[in-house]
Order: sequence, then structure tokens, then C-alpha cells
Amino acid sequence: MKVNYLKEWLNELNICIRCAYCFEGCPVYKVLGWEADTARGKTVLSYGLLTGELEPSKYIAEKIYQCTFCRDCVERCSANVSVPEILAAARADLADWGFAYDSHKHMIENVKKSGNIFGDPEARAPKREGEVLVFIGCQFLARPNQTKLYLRILEKLGLKPKVKEEICCGFPFYALGFRKDLEVHKERFLKLFPEEEIITLCPTCMAYLHEGYGKKVKHITQVLVDRVPEVDLGITATYHDPCDLSRVMHITEEPREILKRIGVEVVEMENNRKTSHCCGGGGGILSTDEKLSDRIAARRIEQAKATGADLLVTPCPTCEQVLKKASKGEIQVRNISDLIWKAIKKSQTST
Amino acid sequence: MKIDLDRLKDIVGEDNIRNNAADLYIYGSDASVHVATPWVVVQPKKISEVQDILRYANEELIPVIPRGAGSGMSGHTVPIDGGIILDMKRMNRILEIRPQDILCRVEAGVVDDDLNRALKPFGFFYPPAPASSRIATIGGEIANNASGIRSVKYGATRDSVLGMKVVMANGDLVNLGSNTRVEASGYQIERLIVGSEGTLAVIVEATLKIVPLPKYRCLGIASFNKLEEAGEAISDVISSGASPSMLELMDDVAITAVNKALNLGLPDVEAIVIFEADGMVKEAVDYEINRIKEICERHNGFGIKYSYDAKERARIYAGRKKLFAALSRYKEGLSCTSLADDMAVPNSRMADMAKKIHEVAKRNNVIMTAYGHCGSGVMHTKILMDPTKKEQWEDARRAVAEIYDYVREIGGTTSAEHGIAISKAPFWKKERKDSLEIMRAIKKALDPNNILNPHKLMDAPDDWVTATRLRYPVGGR
Repeated sequence: MKVNYLKEWLNELNICIRCAYCFEGCPVYKVLGWEADTARGKTVLSYGLLTGELEPSKYIAEKIYQCTFCRDCVERCSANVSVPEILAAARADLADWGFAYDSHKHMIENVKKSGNIFGDPEARAPKREGEVLVFIGCQFLARPNQTKLYLRILEKLGLKPKVKEEICCGFPFYALGFRKDLEVHKERFLKLFPEEEIITLCPTCMAYLHEGYGKKVKHITQVLVDRVPEVDLGITATYHDPCDLSRVMHITEEPREILKRIGVEVVEMENNRKTSHCCGGGGGILSTDEKLSDRIAARRIEQAKATGADLLVTPCPTCEQVLKKASKGEIQVRNISDLIWKAIKKSQTST
Repeated sequence: MKIDLDRLKDIVGEDNIRNNAADLYIYGSDASVHVATPWVVVQPKKISEVQDILRYANEELIPVIPRGAGSGMSGHTVPIDGGIILDMKRMNRILEIRPQDILCRVEAGVVDDDLNRALKPFGFFYPPAPASSRIATIGGEIANNASGIRSVKYGATRDSVLGMKVVMANGDLVNLGSNTRVEASGYQIERLIVGSEGTLAVIVEATLKIVPLPKYRCLGIASFNKLEEAGEAISDVISSGASPSMLELMDDVAITAVNKALNLGLPDVEAIVIFEADGMVKEAVDYEINRIKEICERHNGFGIKYSYDAKERARIYAGRKKLFAALSRYKEGLSCTSLADDMAVPNSRMADMAKKIHEVAKRNNVIMTAYGHCGSGVMHTKILMDPTKKEQWEDARRAVAEIYDYVREIGGTTSAEHGIAISKAPFWKKERKDSLEIMRAIKKALDPNNILNPHKLMDAPDDWVTATRLRYPVGGR
């Protein structure tokens, strides 16, 4: 079978010295426990596919797709080996060879058909004229109330959000291996979003607009950090860093600063900031291996409970959804927007 | 050789066995240049399972290769004859911590850093601290007699092992050593097992000496414009009677690689010496730091900075610990290979060794680096080369031989802390020629059927390049 996408990663695969330092925080390995579940294991498999020493198989595809793209491995790797990029290339070759998951194909067809990953024609961006361009993203489109809340927050804090008709940022095409479709989709996306500067609500969209298109992107928490009112909500919370926000976009302090300003005492989990523990919702495993996702999320919930905090707060809709499910009601999981809104209301009441 | 999977399933359960091509491919390599293919991978959870696996393997003459994280650099866990990979990582319980007896007891698969995290609330630590401590298992560290940045003060793994439980090749479980800090007489078999690289027995449990955490730690860096002067400074610090808790050398290649990969901002000089002192009394730590500083200055060390700040110490410490992989980023197109990676030389020859490494590199068209825990006599290098080119392997072959010829010439040893296994065996065998037959006799006595990690150490092939397949696509495989 012809290798198309892994070819360009041979040098990077030789750069990896197979030291195993990537074992340290890999959420998939922590749950499953075999070396095939680690970044080293998956890059070795990619190497085997590239050199022809391994025949592609359903099992290899399963292992290559069992990655949340959380980049903990990259954070631990002193050679900064581009593990997610290698795995994305391996997935692209595997998809070409017929090993893509049906659920992933379905997701891609949904985007082609409706513009969003859910295939929901009703999930449309709440268009409005304004001054600062906000990209909503599929996950928030499916949560219209939360989207509206963010837009109201922006307005209350003196900004005029501009929202356009939108389509998926394209990350699923890249991450799940649909490269040919990705090129077409990117052209379509750029026609809709030729602007250079964009604010995003979703950390994953932010990372992909930055890495996939080279846009100057700001996350909503960066925009809000100097604008949220200083109030005292009197809450103790722990903050979950979404992987794309902390490890890809290096945004760890702004959300914490927001929480501090609105009177939320943050108690840190064992793994935080750049070494945050993945929620288990990324990389496509949510649609192919929900049990694995649940087990990863359960580990994170255990860390959150150990802090003794009342709440677990995150700005990522996927993390919120996955962690909420895993929490089984033992700790409340909230989007940071809820607390910001609460703070705005409190500041209005007090004035 | 056909493996009786049903028998293995009866022992560990179906979920704890892997024998498909993908898993075998992964478990056939480690951090060395070698690869080979095992027949099956098994993850035992209990000592009795390890015993049953070995009974089966011994009956059927199947090689058994115990494996921790598989981070060895010389091919320790590469199954040169195939066989069963015994992945010990599920045996990862910390069984007891006894501060009063200053010891702890752990299963072989416990990760070094996890142990240290557990010891911290008790005010203790486990000191060998290899750079791989974040993933290295205690069993692997013992099998390899690992040491690290703090060995200059606290010794290597062998100095920290009080006792252990091992499973012999015939499946017998044997208790070795004691819970005491002193043990005088008889053959101290537990000390023999340390560094035996999985060839004599499978370590399943260890009793380890622990050390109270010092109240103060101060870390310093000194810059040098000449590599030899840095080496001389290190030798003098040790012979002066100073007691550093870390005394590391990094040459310009290592500095460049770490700065490039980790953006550490280390000084752009020919060499740096990183030093640390620790203790319970600040004045004593200050005294040590000042002594080291004075000696560095005497050897033209400059820009000397030191700090008690935990964050600053952690930054430098991380740079040193991550150096091995970072070397792969030194120059586009070159990879870091674990060749001639480790040696020990007499204290007075540290500077000569560092200089020699660069001479050998130049002569053989490769890049090499001189760094290591030089305070404890350990010098590391790596060969940075294009591993896809056949001629580079010939260059490497010559360079490795020249390095170890020189090590022997100056009274050093091939084995400092990264083990021998396959890559270094040809040179180690020359060095230890007088004792090879004794070692073979011991191996024969403990493992008569030669099932435990066969063809390593004294029984490894004489040419490391052709001993196994190489992990790189040499000549465009």
C-alpha cells in the first residue's frame, strides 16, 4: 500500500530516541497500560507502517486512533517530537487504505452536508453585526444557550460581537485523517473567514485556526480577562485546563485571573497548566471508544475531587460535557461563562 | 517456536497477553539502536504468575526478557533470541514505607518518581535519580544498577538496595538481603543481582534504603571557555574532599541542544559545570557551594551563579534531565544514537576523556558530546549522525571502538550506569576478559537452560552493528 502522508515524517521518527518519557502523563496509557497505548508505541507503529515492516491492520488503526491528541507527550518530550502530527499523518494513510471509522466518516459527511459535525441544520450561528469577529464553533453551536450567554457577556462588557454564517473549523478532517476533503473544506472556510483576527469560544477551534490557517486568534478568556468585574462570588473551584488551550496555545493564566477577579478561589489539581490531565474527549475517541473516554475522564474527576473544591470549571465545551458525565454528580462541572455571568449580575446588583 | 498461549492465558488471563504483530513490533525495541521480535508479551500482576511463567518457559526452553519502561540504551530488553517479554509495569504497588527503619518495600514495576512522590510526605527520598526517573521502574533500575545526578553524594542503585525478592529461572521464589543497613557475611547475592541486566533472575520486589530530604538545596552553574578546564575543575572538586550533591558537566553540543529544544538560555560557552550542595544546615550548604565556586574560579570558571530558589533549580534540573532526547535537535538531519553513550574514568582523567570524545568525533565524521555525572566519574556521550546512511554506521563503528580503547587505556570502564547489554558488550568483554568465565559459570549455575535474557553481557555478539536489526532504515530500507 502506498504511503502518502507518513513519508514526510521519517526524519521526525528518527529524531525520536524512544526514551519513553512520553509514558509519564499519557492519559490513554494510564488507563490501558500497554506500550501500544503510549505515544512511543504509536510512533513506533507509524514507523513500521512507513518502512513497510508492518502491514496495516484493524488493530494498528485502533491503536493509532486511540489518542486524544492532548499533547501531553509533546510536553514531556525533550526533543519535542511532533507526535500529534505524525499520528494525524498515520491516520490519513490509514483512512486512504480503508481503515477510517464509520463514525468518523459520518462526522465528515455531516460537515459537508450541514457545515457542523452533528449534521444539524438547525445548529446555526446566531448572526449579528458587530465589531469583533467571534467564531462560535460546532460544539457551541450545539449549545445555543451557552453561545448566547457568551455573546451577552461580551456585550455587557462593552464589546460588539460580530457573528457570521459559519462552518466547522476543519480540525476533524485533519485529526481523523480526511486530508483530501480537508483541502476542499479549508478553501470553503477561507472564503467565509478571510479575516486575520478572530476570537473563538472553543479551545480546539482556536488551536486549529492558529495552526491550520495561521490566523491571529484570541480565546474569549483573553478578551475578557481585563473586563470582568471585580466581585466576590465566594466560591472555591478547581480549574481544568483544556489541552488545546494550555499546551497548544499556552493560555493558562487568563482563565485563572478571571476566576480570581470574580472571587473564585482556585484550588489546583495534581496535574495543572502545561501538565494538565486530558478530559478524554479529544482526538475522535468520543465517537469510537466512549468507554475509554469515560475512564480517562474518571481519572480527572478523581483529581478534581481530591482538591475538595465545590466546582470544576473549564472553558471548553467538550471537556465540560465529558467531565460532567464522569462526575456522576459528585462534583459540579460548569463552563467558566456561567461564573462570569454570575459575577456580572452580582456587580450590577451591588451597584 | 510455538508458544502455548492457552497455558499463558491460564496463568495471567487473556487480557494480559499480547501476541499480534503490532505489539510484538513495539516490544521489540527500546531506547537503543537495536530491534528484534519477541514471540509474546505478558503482563503479570502477581509474584505467583511470574513463577508460573518461568516454570513454563524453563520447561520449554523459551527465552524470558523482563522489561520495565524499556528505556535502556544498550538493548537490554531487545529480545535477541525472541521469547517472552515479561512486562513488569503492572506490578506497581508500594508495599510499605517505614521511616523508622529508613526503608521502603516496593514491587518491581513502581516508577521511581512515583516512589519519590509517596516518600515526600514522610520527609524522605530515594536518591539514585536517573534522568529517566519519571518513567523508569525500580526493577529496571536495579537490573541496570542505575545512577544519576545525585549519585556523587548518595551512590548508585547498588548502594540503595537492602534486599529483594527474585524469581529464579526454575520458578523458585527467593528472598535476598535483609531489612538492615549492615549485612556482613556470605555471598551477598542481592548485590550480584543488581546490574545483572535480567540475566540471573527476575526481580519482583525490592527493599530500598531511603534518605531524609535535606532542608536546603542550592544549585549553581559555572561557565568555562575551555572544556578541559571544566573537566579539571570537576576532578579538583572531588579530590578536594568537597561533598556536592550534584556535579555535572555539559559541553557546547549539549548546551546548544538543550537551549534549542527547551529554550533554557544556558550560557553559550564551551562547557558548563552544574553543581549542587544539600544539607540540613544552611551554613554547611553555603560552605560547600563556596568551596566549589572557588575551585571553579581557580580553573577559569566565570559567570558563576547559584540559587536556593526551587523554581530556578527545577528549570536547570529539568534541562539536565531532558538532555538525552534534546540532543536529537542539535542539528537538522542528525539523530541522537545511544552509542558509546556511557563510561566511567578515574577522577583525574575527566578532562582528558572529554577532550578525547571530541577528537574521536572529528576524526570519524560524526558529532559527539561530552556530558555526565562527572563528579561520580560518569561520562556520557552520544553519537549524532544521519542513521539512514550506511557509511555513518561505519563511522560510528570506528568511533565507538576508539572511545572504548581509550577508556581502557586510561583505566576506566565501559560500564558506568547505562548497562552493557548488546551495544557495549564487545568492549566490556575485552575489559573484563579475566572474569568472563566466572560470570558464565554463575549464569550457568543460576540459569542452566539460559532462558533469562540470553545473549547479553558476556554472551552478547562480538559486533554490535550486526548483533540485531538496526531500528533505522539504513540505506533506505
